[in-house]
Amino acid sequence: MTETLAPPADRIRVRDVDLEVVRQGTGRTLLFLHGFHPLAPDARFLELLSRRATVLAPSHPGFGTSSRPADFETLYDLVHLYRELIDGLGDDKITLVGASFGGWLAAEIAAACSHRLDRLVLIDALGLKLGDRETPDILDIFNTHPDTVRRRSWHDPDHEAPDFDAMSDDALTRHARDWDALSLYGWEPYMYNPRLKRWLGRIALPTLVLWGAADGVVTPDYGRRYAGFIPGARFALVDRAGHHPERERPDALADHILDFLGH
Amino acid sequence: MDAWWMCEVPYPHVPKDVLDAADSVRASLPNRWCDPRVAAGLFDEVIDEYLLCDEMGLNIGATEHHAGINSLLGANPMLVSILARQTRKARILSLGTLISLRREPVRIAEEYATADVISRGRLELGFVKSGGTEMASANANPVNNIERYWEAIDLIGKALTHQDGAFSWEGKHFTHRHVNIWPRPWQERFRMWAATGDPHTAAEVGRRGMVHTLVLRGHEGTRRAYAAYRTARAEAGLAPVSTDNFAYSAFVSVGDTDEEGVRVGEKLLWFLNTSLKSAPQYAQLLPGTAPPHIAGQAWRTRPKPQSGGPNLVNAEKGVATAQENALKLMSTTVEQAMAQGIMFAGNPDSVYAQIKKFHDDVGGFGHLTIIGRTGFMTHAESEKNIRLLGKEVLPRLKAIAPMTPTLEQAA
Repeated sequence: MTETLAPPADRIRVRDVDLEVVRQGTGRTLLFLHGFHPLAPDARFLELLSRRATVLAPSHPGFGTSSRPADFETLYDLVHLYRELIDGLGDDKITLVGASFGGWLAAEIAAACSHRLDRLVLIDALGLKLGDRETPDILDIFNTHPDTVRRRSWHDPDHEAPDFDAMSDDALTRHARDWDALSLYGWEPYMYNPRLKRWLGRIALPTLVLWGAADGVVTPDYGRRYAGFIPGARFALVDRAGHHPERERPDALADHILDFLGH
Repeated sequence: MDAWWMCEVPYPHVPKDVLDAADSVRASLPNRWCDPRVAAGLFDEVIDEYLLCDEMGLNIGATEHHAGINSLLGANPMLVSILARQTRKARILSLGTLISLRREPVRIAEEYATADVISRGRLELGFVKSGGTEMASANANPVNNIERYWEAIDLIGKALTHQDGAFSWEGKHFTHRHVNIWPRPWQERFRMWAATGDPHTAAEVGRRGMVHTLVLRGHEGTRRAYAAYRTARAEAGLAPVSTDNFAYSAFVSVGDTDEEGVRVGEKLLWFLNTSLKSAPQYAQLLPGTAPPHIAGQAWRTRPKPQSGGPNLVNAEKGVATAQENALKLMSTTVEQAMAQGIMFAGNPDSVYAQIKKFHDDVGGFGHLTIIGRTGFMTHAESEKNIRLLGKEVLPRLKAIAPMTPTLEQAA
């Protein structure tokens, strides 16, 4: 059972999970599923989207200050949680937007229940194994030097990558908690579901796949091939952005999405 | 007190400029830097040293580490089996197969059963929690490592003691519908050891009555860990245990003179100053290594200033909670190592006195596990160390009787 709270509430409860959530705007409901780290409540990307939609941006269990019950540990759990959240919303259909790890989640949810969605947007999504067995598609963020991960994650790392020395202790604690949760959900198989590729063909709704042109975590080529598995999906590059265009190019990214939503 | 000699079969011969250029000497260093002819010679020497231990009345132990200059022993049961066949008297401590990194505890139980039979009942089972670079080497999720650790111990324990045909195991991390191993082990029950280190795990080790092993922990950390064990037992209403349930692992170097013992002992510091270097993604940034409020600090590139000595927690896995700690640990001198109680070095009288003092300082322990050879210590130096240990120190250690201190005494 989902209890929705009136804005500007910052928490939402789904069954036994207590999630922090950003909720802002009016209009059609847009559920945003974040990537490696939740967006801050004042993130420009969310604010831009909220001018044309009711944005709901929860932090996944174990991320930020969202709780994670002891037996909530897999992508299967995440997919069912968000299906339950969606079912609990008043809307007939919602718009689903997912970035990176959240893009993987969004693809899984869409493959399972696209009848509850009116639009799907995937941004630099993880979740598929496309290369051969000796060719990884997704940069191994856990076994790669952080300097390399940083370089490959941003178009302009020096200006856009997080400055850990400038972060508060609280922010660093959240960052480390996110990191643990990512490892729990995504260690093996590494950030993909070997079964998902076969079922993307079920997604019967307008889909936009957006990709940072400089994404070195998952390349634009991977993104194009990803889009090819979803019937009718459009693919577009976001220039001067790496793996996190929602942070690096929020205006350009929001423009693409709002255009696609018909605004 | 019993003494157990161990050597991890390190490979110190990678050129220094290669090690300096590498960000990690474990997990990612290509094995083109490991000359198999040199490695074969090292195995020959170390196995001969183990046989010498058997001759001298020392017990022996084997460890396991993967893909690094610190150890060529990626397969603990293999060395344990060799020692089972080649030694005659020594008890053989596996400390141990990294069970939380392997997919099939039942296979590990088969390996142990085989070694125990070959040794005619001399095997002891030690379980190391692991961490650091081992996670990448084994593709093992670091975040739930401790869950796999306990479940594997339980499954291995049952597989080794169940004599009535196939049983089923459908656990959280391991499933095996048909567990029935041959040969039946020689021993009806095994003494189990645990090397884990953190207070939370120490409590569980205590409740299970395992031999609680602290590695290079120093005075304060060891005292606290032993106390956590005892407290957990008391709180669970379990009978107190003697010091035979406690073990301590340190560098030991015995020479004819104090000067020789210390000079050769300094070579053992290679373990700290060269073999620990791990890239941040395998060490302080590895998920699940520390609670988030501590782990978060490791992301700073300019850590907050730290006072005091190096943090010895997880020293043997090369994990430190901050870059500064790692650097301090790596630059430990012989004098500091001896003062901290992580090295006992000198002539036989001095070494005995240092061990006895440390023993008394921490409330007593019944087992000394000796890191007896590492780095550039030579085969001849190692054999001399073993002979002096066996002849001059061991008899006095054996005279240290087990005791059962009260909680207040132990604290």
